[in-house]
Amino acid sequence: MAESMEMLERRIDALRAEVRRSVVARDGARTRALRAELRTAERVWEQAIAELTDESDSVESSESSESSEQLAGGSLVPVREQVHHALILLSVPAAPRLVAEVHAAFFGGTATSLGANKLTHLRRDEKRSFETAPYARPYYLCSALTAEHLAPARGLVAVSTWPLERRIVGPLSPRVDFLTAAARLAERAGSVPDGSVATVSRLLWRFATNIPGATSSRSGVAGHDTVDPAVVIRAAEAEREVHADADQAQRASAADRARRQLDNVQQLFGSPLRTLEGKTA
Amino acid sequence: MTSTSIIGTSDGTAQRLAEIRGGVRPTRHNARTIAALTRNPGCARRAVLDGAGVDKQRLAAYIDFPSRFGQSQFALARGNAFEAQVKANGCADLLSLLRERLGLPIPEVAYDDLESVTGRDKESPEVRYARSRALLTRAASGDSGAGTLFDHPLLGLEVAGQRVYLEPDLIAFQHEGRFHVVEIKSFAVVDGQADPSKVSAAAIQAAVYVLAMREMLAESGYDPTIVSHDVVLVCPRDFSNQPTAVLVDVRKQLSVLRRQLGRMTKVDQMLAALPANLSFDLAPDAAGVPTRAPDAIVDALHAVDARYAPDCLAVCELAYFCRNEAKGCTAALGTSAREELGGIERVETALALAHDELAPAEDQAEAAALLRSAARLRAELMAGVGL
Repeated sequence: MAESMEMLERRIDALRAEVRRSVVARDGARTRALRAELRTAERVWEQAIAELTDESDSVESSESSESSEQLAGGSLVPVREQVHHALILLSVPAAPRLVAEVHAAFFGGTATSLGANKLTHLRRDEKRSFETAPYARPYYLCSALTAEHLAPARGLVAVSTWPLERRIVGPLSPRVDFLTAAARLAERAGSVPDGSVATVSRLLWRFATNIPGATSSRSGVAGHDTVDPAVVIRAAEAEREVHADADQAQRASAADRARRQLDNVQQLFGSPLRTLEGKTA
Repeated sequence: MTSTSIIGTSDGTAQRLAEIRGGVRPTRHNARTIAALTRNPGCARRAVLDGAGVDKQRLAAYIDFPSRFGQSQFALARGNAFEAQVKANGCADLLSLLRERLGLPIPEVAYDDLESVTGRDKESPEVRYARSRALLTRAASGDSGAGTLFDHPLLGLEVAGQRVYLEPDLIAFQHEGRFHVVEIKSFAVVDGQADPSKVSAAAIQAAVYVLAMREMLAESGYDPTIVSHDVVLVCPRDFSNQPTAVLVDVRKQLSVLRRQLGRMTKVDQMLAALPANLSFDLAPDAAGVPTRAPDAIVDALHAVDARYAPDCLAVCELAYFCRNEAKGCTAALGTSAREELGGIERVETALALAHDELAPAEDQAEAAALLRSAARLRAELMAGVGL
């Protein structure tokens, strides 16, 4: 890779010199042709550079995760797919921080590089990609939408293949999604590689402490490892029952509105153009 | 209008304040600055500068009296991280605290994020204020399912005749028809005890929000007392990052705040008494470098009366300048010294009175007697230790 980069750079330099010469010689046609060639070369160079950074990113993360396991592919997976894996596991829109934690716990590797910044970039790229070639990719990482204004919800990532209802966030949705995520994590907690059992149960414990009745009365002292996934699932389902109907109704009506009012891009990435003036007056 | 944070004043006043400020955007008030404002309500200099939204920090640095305080980056980062933790996953931590401590029932979980309304990065405070107001008044009207947690509501408050927007990083929470202000702070509560000065600072800040929320509801015709005077203070417990919640009664802070905000001289009246060409404009050039001579700014500052007290050092960016100016004044010795020496303005006068070198005026007789006996006591003590 590095060698071809060098060759490219040399070629770009040579082309620039050629362009200069042909401009001085006032050879218009030749200049145009050379310029086009130069642009192509530069684009290839940009692409190669982007691939290079991706590679070094994943090399870094795999190095730091050596301790747990050198799972084939584990951390060589691009960020985009890491996010996708974690979100599919959670099955609800989630904040970058949780996405990173879930990925680290269930798929190994350190996903700490998954900062909010990176996600903003990622989402912008996804949007651009969707705008130029809609539905060309099997999935897009997109935004959750607020129920009231159908604007992108702050700090939540979602997957484009989910039904619109699931990507809409009403007032009750953060709690419902939290409970759903807790149940999903508990379901999957039994089937993780040995190396990450501790991380997973720590994550699950953090969820369980905030759900009534989820930190079982089994041992009295709630240690980090004493959370029983079955109890968590039961407790989460019990509380979810309370909010589910109202939440579902809010989401469904907002989703209807979104389907009527928004185009395809906006349905995935939100409609930031609407303000509330006049609506609340 | 250049100002987005000041509304509700007459055009003339707004115009005048803009001239005083110069052609820059006004600095924003927050609960911290309002709480500080009430610490020294008699200071006209501060009232004018704050009213006009002058960047005092920059001003102080320019006239070579840089302020030496502010929150450390570490404290800010820690505070933000703790707040994010408490609010993560739809306020999961906070919900369980409220359920435990205040008996919030299970169905009450609705969460409305008011920090970003339309999803745009930069939306005007008016949009956010309108939305906060709409949601909070709907909740106040007793509409069922009108919401429980309101994250980052934008509030407005009348300060010295000026309307300012407050951007609290707190949550207002509604339960059984009553609102509570939730203040998240990152100082630790160890064994149920916390640093009293930090608690009281947090209580004053929370009281500012209570007041602002009450005014918002009162304006819309609701009973302001449905905003509870008990605020929920959320802090890390013991040496962990586990949040804990306590109720703090801010009735006292509220009444202090209300009285002092009411007493603050109205900006209009204050402006009338000032020279017409007064301006703290640094007149920055295209690159943002100030072009006005520091001496001119100092002259402008002298034109507005200050009321320096040692407390100012902790709350006002201009305090070092005012302290320098107040050198030799009895007021600079602190409020208690100032009260004891009522009517005596200068330290030299006080010393002269103490040493019987000056005949006291009629209203100084009491203070003079006090000073003389103090001088006698001091002399005796010094003689006693052989100095």
